[in-house]
Amino acid sequence: MTQGIIIAAFGAAICALLSGIGSAVGVQIAGQAAAGVTSDQPDLFGKVLVLQALPGTQGIYGFLLAVLILVQTGLISGNPHSITVMQGWAYFASALPIAIVGLLSGIAQGKTAAAAIHMTGKDPDSSAKGITMTALVETYAILALLASILILFSI
Amino acid sequence: MIIPMRKMRLIIFQNDEKTVLEALQKTGEFMPIESKETAADTSLKSNAVSRSDELQRTHQMLKLSNQYHKKYYHHFLEQQPEISYETFLKENLKGKEICKKFQLYDNQLKALDTDIGQCSKEIETLQPWEKLDIPLNQLKQDQYVSVTAGMISEVFEQDLKRIGEETGAEIHTYGKVKKNLCFLIIQTNKEMPDLTSRLKKLEFSNVNLPSYPCTAAQKLKDLKEKISHNEQKKIEIDQCIRELSQDEKDLKLLAEQYETKQEIENIKFQETNETILIQGWVCKDRINLLKEVVHDTVQYYDLEFIKPSKSDFPPTVTRNPYFWAQFETITDMYSKPNPSEIDPALVAGPWYWVIFGMMMGDVGYGICMLLIFYFFRKVKKPKGNAKKLINTLFYSSFTTIIFGVLFGSYFGETWHPILFAPLTNPLKMLYFTLVVGILHIFSGMAIKIVENVKEGHFWDAIFDQVSWMLLISGLGLLFLPSARFIGKLLAILGAVIILCTAGRENKKLSKKIVGGLLGLYNISSYLSDILSYSRILALSLATGVIGMVMNLLARMVAVNIGGMIIALVIYIIGHSFNLAMSLLSAYVHDSRLQYIEFFNKFYEGGGKPFKPLSIQSNHVDVKIDKNN
Repeated sequence: MTQGIIIAAFGAAICALLSGIGSAVGVQIAGQAAAGVTSDQPDLFGKVLVLQALPGTQGIYGFLLAVLILVQTGLISGNPHSITVMQGWAYFASALPIAIVGLLSGIAQGKTAAAAIHMTGKDPDSSAKGITMTALVETYAILALLASILILFSI
Repeated sequence: MIIPMRKMRLIIFQNDEKTVLEALQKTGEFMPIESKETAADTSLKSNAVSRSDELQRTHQMLKLSNQYHKKYYHHFLEQQPEISYETFLKENLKGKEICKKFQLYDNQLKALDTDIGQCSKEIETLQPWEKLDIPLNQLKQDQYVSVTAGMISEVFEQDLKRIGEETGAEIHTYGKVKKNLCFLIIQTNKEMPDLTSRLKKLEFSNVNLPSYPCTAAQKLKDLKEKISHNEQKKIEIDQCIRELSQDEKDLKLLAEQYETKQEIENIKFQETNETILIQGWVCKDRINLLKEVVHDTVQYYDLEFIKPSKSDFPPTVTRNPYFWAQFETITDMYSKPNPSEIDPALVAGPWYWVIFGMMMGDVGYGICMLLIFYFFRKVKKPKGNAKKLINTLFYSSFTTIIFGVLFGSYFGETWHPILFAPLTNPLKMLYFTLVVGILHIFSGMAIKIVENVKEGHFWDAIFDQVSWMLLISGLGLLFLPSARFIGKLLAILGAVIILCTAGRENKKLSKKIVGGLLGLYNISSYLSDILSYSRILALSLATGVIGMVMNLLARMVAVNIGGMIIALVIYIIGHSFNLAMSLLSAYVHDSRLQYIEFFNKFYEGGGKPFKPLSIQSNHVDVKIDKNN
């Protein structure tokens, strides 16, 4: 196991870690709002559940990139490629966009989702509009994931 | 396609109002316009008030019945009963009777509950005095001696004894309540004030015992018996309600009958002393049907159909071929098209279908979707928008399978891709998604061109749409070495047109130039729109990678027979989770691509939905005999 591999492994860890935290907090924020609305109008459970699940995708993106790093470095199959320290840092760099943007956008999307859930509580027909507003936040997580993937595959 | 609307004006005698409205309701093709003049008069007709009371009561009883009807599994497979229109119109005696019975039981339950509550409160007061062996009504003051019941904190027990000894009073202690000691004092009347003042210092409080002609123990026994008797009664009534809730269908039918009647009773039209003017929107192609209906129901009437004037805002009805009509639910969630524009469903539908498939892009998941939604449709028979949504997802399972084959993805495993595998070739996939994005946006702009030309703004179409299409396709062609020259030419031509014409609405020359430059700045919004389609790559990768990880996990544990079983569990749960999350993401992001990137090129929306008078049937299927 070389030092490069360790650094790459840190990269895989950090993107799953930070974006996972972002999603967990985001889903929690949305979940509180969803529970409030559902206690008043149990029929809206399905609609608010969709909104609550939206901030969960950042965690998936972070996890996705972690797996891709593990695949690219051969860690997942048990016999890692020989990787220099510089390459290790490059893998680490590829983890950063989705790690940091995932953390912050997950929380931000959670807040938007909470607002959209309140809106759905007042007017159930506007849930699609709320979904669109919430999905707008996610664009930046997707762009960050794209940047991460492009860096990863150009190493 | 948007169906043109006509305003229907019907003048009839007031006596005929009910029959005509019922007939119109039966057709389900007439959307009333409420008269503004009488809308200020908020006092409802008296029968409408009683109707809403009845409806409310029925809904309450339905709620009660639901609490007892918790057979979800059975409920899910249950099919809606079908009844004929004639039965639907008839007075639902059975439903009314059930409603009454429910109400009776409900009231009985409430009365029993109050009774039980009172009894247990009394038990609480009497409990500590259980050992007092004198009938309670004999504890009273007489000429010489007074008897007082009281409570004192248990920490003062010794003090109490001391006071008793010092004053010579007789003190009997009984049980305790919440750390308070209950006791009885017997003292001569003369010395009583002295004793009470000493006791007051120990925070003594008087207890007024109820005066029953029996001992506390006896009364307690009676009360407990009464409670258990009431509980028994409650169980019996519970059983009755449970049995009654088997007939919940009739109650539901009753609710819908009330709702249907209420719909008619709540509308207000302009009236004279004898006649009434009924106004409403109808589809142009249904005029003959309505003419027939009116002709068949009333003898004297005046009926005309008017073209909507400019100040009118008719509702929007779209009618598309079956496949396209299913995707209307996606458009409608954004906004209905307004009556003067092109219905976007014809173009948006197929795009939604294709992009959904690209986002899911897996043969295994496609087959799962196909089976799930097919059976859901067969068993649940959803109606309205739910049906359209299910159909949308059902159709999308086909594109999911097609793209799964193209990308070679089978439950996350890569196997002989025909195009390329996004997992090993993300860059190719990225270019592919961006090309799809450009085509999607161009098709939106093409609709705008058609609209512009139809309205006679031919040059606007050239300046605002064609120019951008030239510029974007030119920039795109720069990436292909063989077409680089043509690309340059197209891009420059497009940019020049935009530069010269984007500021054309300003009068001053300087503003025209600034407008042109600002117009060219819009390139950033077009680029971000196109880049937004990279989410297709992200979602298709997410589906693929998580599927792959599940396979990997399953393979890791599948070393022996026990492991195989665990692997199977991981496989099933993991892939179900992935399928659910991917479906949600694909639904949300595919919609978003339509709403934000596609619709902002041409779509205005803001149409009103067409809400005709119709028979309310959420729980029953009302069959209308067309020949009748």
